[in-house]
Amino acid sequence: MVKLKEKVEEQIQPSFLVDRPWITIVWDDPVNLMSYVTYVFITVFGYSKERATELMLKVHNEGKAVVSTGSREEMERDVQRLHEFGLWATLSHDGE
Amino acid sequence: MVISSAFLRHGDGTFAAIFAETETEVLINLTEQLLEILAERVDEVHSDPLAALINLTGHDSPPDDEVLARLLPNAYADSVDSADFRRFTETELRAKKRAHAHLVRSDLLNMQDSTIRLNEEAASAWLGAINDIRLALGVRLNVQENSYEQLELLSPDDPMRGVYAVYSWLGWLQESLVNCLLDDLEDTVSSEDLGGSS
Repeated sequence: MVKLKEKVEEQIQPSFLVDRPWITIVWDDPVNLMSYVTYVFITVFGYSKERATELMLKVHNEGKAVVSTGSREEMERDVQRLHEFGLWATLSHDGE
Repeated sequence: MVISSAFLRHGDGTFAAIFAETETEVLINLTEQLLEILAERVDEVHSDPLAALINLTGHDSPPDDEVLARLLPNAYADSVDSADFRRFTETELRAKKRAHAHLVRSDLLNMQDSTIRLNEEAASAWLGAINDIRLALGVRLNVQENSYEQLELLSPDDPMRGVYAVYSWLGWLQESLVNCLLDDLEDTVSSEDLGGSS
């Protein structure tokens, strides 16, 4: 019994049930125009102009912002689209 | 003589700008340079037909050239994940960027009355290409968050002064086209609010 308990504790890590989403991060870049970054967020994500502007300002003021969350495959698609537009974007597992 | 103008919105859903001859020449030249630099990154030839079929580029590390590295950045902080992603996606990314540059070049070569007229879809491709050219020039000019003041003060005989002038002009041109698209969007949203969207 002890053995089984150890085994279970070993395999069922705290993160096993917590389905953390993946995130797409856009990093600040000295070349991209603020208006253009706003336009890209509207085009790629379908965000309202207000939401897109808010995220653009977060990137500008804080150096980066999480612009979308979801499955790894979805975030890879988002990053690819953002790279097509020339934004500097990466994806990662939330909290890492 | 032609007096150039930034992009302006027209009633028929198009955006138009007037280009002076020098501007046309400069922009054609830059799109060609962009195409050339993207072509430098050649796909590796795969003996494995399956790899060729699914478009594997074979590239798993970022380009050594700084401009190419900015245009084709890593998707992950982790280099192993980045390499995997790049192998599957870089060819397509390069193809998209080349397509944007080709469109701008051919629009300029076929221009009538010094005027470029774009619909929304073409405008998006133009924005992508102009942005790629600005990113490339930005790398060569070493543009940083605080370097604009310094760049404004380049001496007249500094070769980078001309490059910076072109970089600034492209920023102005891009901003005018972005604003057209954002205004267009705003009008669509407000007409939907009024229930008047067709």
